[in-house]
Amino acid sequence: MATSSLELLARSWRQQAMPLHHSLSILRPKVLTEFLSCEVVHSRIHFHRIPYACKKVPCMYQRSVRCSSSAAVETPVTSASAPVNSGGSDPGAPTWRASLDFKWIRENRDAIAQNIQNRNSSADVDLVVQLYDKSISVGHEVEKLRTERNRVANAMKGKLDPGKRQELIEEGKRLKDALTDLEADLSLLSEQLQREGQKIPNMTHPQVAVGSEAAATVHKMVGSKREFDFPVKNHVELGESLELMDFEAAAEVSGTKFYYLKNEGMLLELALVNWALSELVKRGFVPYSTPDLVRSSVIEKCGFQPRGSNTQVYSVEGTDLCLAGTAEILLGGLYMDQILSEKQLPLKLVAFSHCFRTEAGAAGSATRGLYRVHQFSKLEMFVICKPEDSERFHEELISIEEELFSSLGLHFKILDMPTEDLGAPAYRKYDFEAWMPGLDRYGEISSASNCTDYQSRRLSIRYRPTDDIILPTGKKGKAPLQFAHTLNATAVAVPRMIVSILENFQQSDGSILIPKVLQPYMSGRELICRKSN
Amino acid sequence: MKGKLDPGKRQELIEEGKRLKDALTDLEADLSLLSEQLQREGQKIPNMTHPQVAVGSEAAATVHKMVGSKREFDFPVKNHVELGESLELMDFEAAAEVSGTKFYYLKNEGMLLELALVNWALSELVKRGFVPYSTPDLVRSSVIEKCGFQPRGSNTQVYSVEGTDLCLAGTAEILLGGLYMDQILSEKQLPLKLVAFSHCFRTEAGAAGSATRGLYRVHQFSKLEMFVICKPEDSERFHEELISIEEELFSSLGLHFKILDMPTEDLGAPAYRKYDFEAWMPGLDRYGEISSASNCTDYQSRRLSIRYRPTDDIILPTGKKGKAPLQFAHTLNATAVAVPRMIVSILENFQQSDGSILIPKVLQPYMSGRELICRKSN
Repeated sequence: MATSSLELLARSWRQQAMPLHHSLSILRPKVLTEFLSCEVVHSRIHFHRIPYACKKVPCMYQRSVRCSSSAAVETPVTSASAPVNSGGSDPGAPTWRASLDFKWIRENRDAIAQNIQNRNSSADVDLVVQLYDKSISVGHEVEKLRTERNRVANAMKGKLDPGKRQELIEEGKRLKDALTDLEADLSLLSEQLQREGQKIPNMTHPQVAVGSEAAATVHKMVGSKREFDFPVKNHVELGESLELMDFEAAAEVSGTKFYYLKNEGMLLELALVNWALSELVKRGFVPYSTPDLVRSSVIEKCGFQPRGSNTQVYSVEGTDLCLAGTAEILLGGLYMDQILSEKQLPLKLVAFSHCFRTEAGAAGSATRGLYRVHQFSKLEMFVICKPEDSERFHEELISIEEELFSSLGLHFKILDMPTEDLGAPAYRKYDFEAWMPGLDRYGEISSASNCTDYQSRRLSIRYRPTDDIILPTGKKGKAPLQFAHTLNATAVAVPRMIVSILENFQQSDGSILIPKVLQPYMSGRELICRKSN
Repeated sequence: MKGKLDPGKRQELIEEGKRLKDALTDLEADLSLLSEQLQREGQKIPNMTHPQVAVGSEAAATVHKMVGSKREFDFPVKNHVELGESLELMDFEAAAEVSGTKFYYLKNEGMLLELALVNWALSELVKRGFVPYSTPDLVRSSVIEKCGFQPRGSNTQVYSVEGTDLCLAGTAEILLGGLYMDQILSEKQLPLKLVAFSHCFRTEAGAAGSATRGLYRVHQFSKLEMFVICKPEDSERFHEELISIEEELFSSLGLHFKILDMPTEDLGAPAYRKYDFEAWMPGLDRYGEISSASNCTDYQSRRLSIRYRPTDDIILPTGKKGKAPLQFAHTLNATAVAVPRMIVSILENFQQSDGSILIPKVLQPYMSGRELICRKSN
């Protein structure tokens, strides 16, 4: 079913391993490339599978082999992250393109629909398939009209009698007008397809339980609840009596859910960051200090929704910037639109940043104190790797988190989160919940997600496999670009750590035993105790 | 009108009462308006100025002290951008894509250097009796105004958060001043010496000029800020103490710098007197501001309402003893470490001929004992 132009481009692409947009510029229906986005996969075009076996990863991830031409979409800018010039046709249109494999979506419609249902997502896979099919057929119409118009243009080159010439001129004009209309339709379809396509959440690991928070399964339990032989205080009582934090002044100066840390409270924050950073640098993570402000488009590409009534994201007036809720966004953005070499992977990054969240819609009793706040310091891990390695790195990340929190002496459980709790980007997500005796509950201190290629298709993070492949011609050529997989995991979210430490290590006199691993970072202090006045 | 009156007289009084009431309402409205105008215009009056401060613009600044001297280089000097990029300490390109120009990532030893500077300076200040704080970066715009800044207005330095009354603080000075806002302290509590770590945000609107690339002028940076609340008679003494601390910090890093006594046009409304520290930055071939120390006397405290009750009672006119009236405290602020400017200074001053950087001795313990930042082997 591929048209001659598509055959041509496929052949030239295979032979020359040129970026797709170069091939297409020869053929030039720019409009065709727009709707194709990364979708140059027609039955006649064979892309060779990567020679590595993706044993642990379900075969659906091999689809990433094919969507390597995403960069071709917008010419002359080759990035899939480049802005879509919608010409005002659809105000709700996304401002950037994700490299979505629409053909794969159509082929796996049932699994995707089931996944959408399991996740309680509002995405509509049938609408996406419909829009895709329509785009293709309109695209073909456009092709046909172009061919006609070219024929008419060629026909006008020779010697013609005036009557015939006039006929051709009029036909040419009719074709031109029809073409303009169809191209506009195609453009609109393309935007709608992107918008609806972007809503489709990531697929889900087969072992993940279907359901809401209650369906979470306990992956592991570490340690046990401490027995207290005195009445347990919560971190607010402890913190205020030890002069470690101030909520009242913060409420005046900035509002509720803000706080000052002071004295050992502040030193504890720094100690946690210094200690965890040192542990991660030892384990090969590259340390970063990132901006806290980020373009809203980058936030969207990571799978968050900065706009919208119940957004978690603060925006900066008069700019396209938002306050980042996590350094994950800044780290993903760091490698946005990049083509890495296979040798560079895996990339293991750790970043320190201040995180900001509106906590809109977060009701509940734990509104006082450090449990739910608008700003907090966080050390975040981020991994970019090959698809076949992401599950392994997910295990590595939670293993690191387990080591960190155990060495602090905390009792916690590792939960394998269910479908409704994953968030659109995550294929699988483990949450760590530490026992917080003062709040008499387990509270989340960390989260580790494997986003597979969800973020990398939006951020356009790809790599070139090292080994060349054998082309149909028999010659050797570069292997096609692959989308990397991304993962993120919290090393230290400072306020939740402070809650856990204060509440778990409180003594009967209200002082706090500092975890041994942190003592060197607190100038050797072993105890936080009342100030003498 | 309370007594017994004949109807005619009563009616006269009622009408007179009504005339008076209307006149009063009008006058009260006038007074209210006047009061607002008075406040608005009055707030514009800048702080008084220390008699020794030179009158004039930046050129009139006087050199209070010169510390150290320019290093002689026997090789071509590089600027911090060249050094930083070749040592993979910073990334401006990716930051420009992700957030915009004048943003940056610090990486590897660049990031470790940031933490080392903060850890080291904090430790030095805690030793000197400063109470450490970690403050919010977001603050109500009213608090910013009370500190003497202008968050609104076309050329504002201040970012605002949509849909809230919050702004991104340009300095922790605001958060520290706000901490004691509307408080009545006892004389015994003074002086209060605070040091805070925060992320600072500035629009840099209207900041033209060549140093637009690199770390010299950026939208976001980490800073350790000192803040003092004291009795009026002590503020000049604390001003000297603050600049003495800054001098010790920057000297111990091995920097060459001058301390400038800033002239009247450069003080900013809140400052009675302001000293700026400018370090020699050989890669930029200029002195660049790394720190500033201001004595704001009672300018901020009158706006933030920070007052104290003197300990000693006084003798009242009646002859009895009574509490002394409340006094406005004086406030001072001084930069301990503004990380990017420190990084510029360190990279450019301590570069070696092979492009590596000698880490100042005082920072080495905070960089896990590293002595040198050198090229990564690939």
